Amino acid sequence: MAWTWFHRLGSPPFVYRLATRLTPWFAWPAAILIVAALYGGLVLAPPDYQQGQGFRIIYVHAPSAWMSLMVYVTMAAASAVGLIWRMKVAHAVAASCAPVGASFTLAALTTGMLWGRPMWGTYWEWDPRLTSELVLLFLYLGYLGLRASFDDVQRADRVSAVLAVVGVVNVPIIHYSVVWWNSLHQAPSVMKLGTPTIATAMLVPLLLMLAGFTLFFGAILMLRLRAEVLRRERGTNWIREALSS
Amino acid sequence: MSEFLRMGGYARYLWPSYAITFIVVVLNVIWARRLLARARADALRRLAAQGGES
Repeated sequence: MAWTWFHRLGSPPFVYRLATRLTPWFAWPAAILIVAALYGGLVLAPPDYQQGQGFRIIYVHAPSAWMSLMVYVTMAAASAVGLIWRMKVAHAVAASCAPVGASFTLAALTTGMLWGRPMWGTYWEWDPRLTSELVLLFLYLGYLGLRASFDDVQRADRVSAVLAVVGVVNVPIIHYSVVWWNSLHQAPSVMKLGTPTIATAMLVPLLLMLAGFTLFFGAILMLRLRAEVLRRERGTNWIREALSS
Repeated sequence: MSEFLRMGGYARYLWPSYAITFIVVVLNVIWARRLLARARADALRRLAAQGGES
C-alpha cells in the first residue's frame, strides 16, 4: 500500500533516524544559499530607483516574513494531522515549529519597522499588514504559553493543536491584507500569480534567500524534532540503540 | 568599502536589520542544538538508571 510511508512517519524511531540523516542535507545547502544571497543582495543587485540602497532590507525582511507564515502553516498542518490521526510525531513537529516561527515573526516585525522609518516616516502604524503580523506573533506566543501550562504532554498537544489550527485563518489575512485594504505596505512582488514585478538582478538574491531560509527551517526542525522525540519517548528501548550508535 | 558600509545613507536602518536577522538565525541554531544535547543527556541518564536497576 502507498500508505506505508505514512505509518512509518508515525514511528518515533524511524522519524528520529530520518531526521538525523536529513539534517546535513538541509543545513549545508541552506548555508550556501544564504551566503550567495547575501553577496547577490548586498553587492550585485543594483540600487532601487526610488529607495536607493535602502531597498536591500528586503533580503532579510521578506524571507523573515515568509518564514513567519510558512512555519505557521507547517505547525497548523502538523497539528491537524496530530488531531485527526492521533499521531504523536505530528504533535512533536508542531511543538518544534513554534519557537522558530515566533523568532522569525519578531525578525519580520523589527526589520519591517527599520524599513518603515526611512520609507514611510514611521516605525509603526496600525496598518492591516502590520497589525495582522503582530497578531501572528501573539498566536505563536499563545501557543507556547498554552503548551507550557500543561504538565501532561498529550493534553498540551491536543489543546495547543486546536489553537494552531484555528489561528491559521490569520495567514490569508496577513497575505491578502495589502490587497484587500489600503495599506502602507507594498503589494506582493513575488508571491503572487503572474510574473514577479521586480528586476531579475534584484529577484534572484531574494529567491536564493527564500530558499535558503526554508532549508534552514528544515535543518532546525530536524534538530528540534529529534529532541522532542527523545523527550517523549524516554525510557523506551529503541532509544538505547539510537543513542549508542 | 566605507561607501558600501554607508549604504547610501541607509546604514542606520539597513545594518541593524541584517544584524537582527543574523542574531535570530544564530540563536535558532544555538537553541536547537542545546535542546537536542539536553534531551540526549537526559535520555542517557535515564537509560543508565534503568540499567543499574535491572
